[in-house]
Amino acid sequence: MGGQACVFYGAAQFSRDLDILILADPANLERLRQALQELAAVSIAVPQLEESYLSRGHAAHFRCRREDVPGLRIDVMSRYRGGPDFNDLWMRRTTIEVDGEPIDLLSLPDLMDAKKTQRDKDWPMIARLIERNYFEFEGSPSDEQISLWLREIRAPELLLDVVQAHPRMAAELAPARSAVAAALTGAVDEVSRALADEEREQRRLDREYWAPLKQELEQLRRKH
Amino acid sequence: MPREPIKAEDLVGEEWAEWYRMTPVERFHASERLWETYLALGGSLEPEPDTQSPFFDPEEWRENAAHGRPGVRVLRRGAV
Repeated sequence: MGGQACVFYGAAQFSRDLDILILADPANLERLRQALQELAAVSIAVPQLEESYLSRGHAAHFRCRREDVPGLRIDVMSRYRGGPDFNDLWMRRTTIEVDGEPIDLLSLPDLMDAKKTQRDKDWPMIARLIERNYFEFEGSPSDEQISLWLREIRAPELLLDVVQAHPRMAAELAPARSAVAAALTGAVDEVSRALADEEREQRRLDREYWAPLKQELEQLRRKH
Repeated sequence: MPREPIKAEDLVGEEWAEWYRMTPVERFHASERLWETYLALGGSLEPEPDTQSPFFDPEEWRENAAHGRPGVRVLRRGAV
């Protein structure tokens, strides 16, 4: 769900860790523990890999010690802020095959939602995720793709282009996104301002979401 | 008058535009090659401390880099 997924979708060139989103049920957690054991992975921070923590939004953090992956960090989560139930994410997933091995990724819209965090580095990633999709399909987009572009594009000039090319759909979506409403007027400064407001609000919501979880982490660290 | 549509090169530069044009599998293999170079040059698997992450713990134990040089640290800071 993290940097590696962004590599596959074209928004990153490499990632130094592996972020995995899992179904946190007892049987699946047991399988994951066995896999981590095979990688000689050790827990490096609180909390422990337990269903109760994962289901509340915490992550479990590991570092591998097996010879072929020395030092590789693995973070495990089972949900993210605003994300739907795991089964819905699983139904929408993208599966690609690399050297005969299937790799399951969050769908592009879900990955972009998961990246709407308080961290500076996630926002350019969202921009690249949606831009790459735009440049791949701009020649013959489906309505679903146009709708996604109108909801997610973060570059003002590109949003103006999409609104200009698809004014009817833009008008339909404008009440839900002020940047689209601004783009319909053609005012690039207004679009930039609306995009900045949107990002600021998402960062605020992310800090709000994490506040009680961070408190809990502090308590766990003190006990540890 | 309608504007000329933006090209990927105009928006993100030639290198990223080229990256966008690859298939996911091509990107995976290109990323692997970048990794090999990165590790050969002494790069570390240790992620940079992410102070904006909700998980960030300044006290978290960090081992030295598994590959090559350990991370850079300040030994002496001049008065500026």
